Amino acid sequence: MQADALTLLSTGTILVFMGIASIVMSKNLVKTIMSFQVVLFGANLALFASGLGIGSRLTTDSFVLLSITVGAAVEAVGLAIVLGVQRKYGTLDPSKVRKLRH
Amino acid sequence: MFNELQALLLSGALISACAYALFSPKVSGSLIALFYGSFSLGLIFVLFGDSLLGLLQMATFAGAVSVLMLTVILLTGESTLHLGARKSVLVLAVPLLVFVAVGLLLVTGLGGPENPNPYQDISSGVLLFIWQQRPWDLLILVMAFASAMVTITNLFSRES
Repeated sequence: MQADALTLLSTGTILVFMGIASIVMSKNLVKTIMSFQVVLFGANLALFASGLGIGSRLTTDSFVLLSITVGAAVEAVGLAIVLGVQRKYGTLDPSKVRKLRH
Repeated sequence: MFNELQALLLSGALISACAYALFSPKVSGSLIALFYGSFSLGLIFVLFGDSLLGLLQMATFAGAVSVLMLTVILLTGESTLHLGARKSVLVLAVPLLVFVAVGLLLVTGLGGPENPNPYQDISSGVLLFIWQQRPWDLLILVMAFASAMVTITNLFSRES
């Protein structure tokens, strides 16, 4: 594997783990959506870098294209849910929302 | 060597932008950092031979999703975004933007060999009129996105 593909693959892995850590620690639902976006960036970059490394890019680029469109749609739905939660409960903190539900 | 340098620089920019977006206490700062992260990832796709993916990434995440997120942040009242309140930040930000733009030009267009990309480009045929060794086009794209974001932020910003 080329050095630049390896660099991009490492970057993608770092982004995925950073995003997952931020999702776990997040106290704000908008920040959770942003963390999901970072995980998506990492996954897309890792897919793209694997295509660079193995030399056959058609399959991986198709997967990245699919991932971009599906990820954008998921984020839009997530943001709509965040708006609904904020209007119903008046807060974006998941733990407070959980308490207010009971 | 030139590709490795590009990969290192853009990876560093992407990780820095995403780290700031994730761990910044202000949601508006996170949004701006995420915008630059989306842009960096699109630039990586473009520079490593897939301009279609890169432009789609920029249009989707740096354009549409950023504006959607900005609208949600303003509607939920998470950030007030007083743009005119911090003149000192603007004094620092303008030279920084110029520095980043010059760096982008150097990385993308100057200083490298005639065709620095050794990989086979499978999708740039359709987009050759946009991306044909002309880094100014990319800069114009950045300016269009940035001006759109500033305009929408001004529209939604509250009076102090």
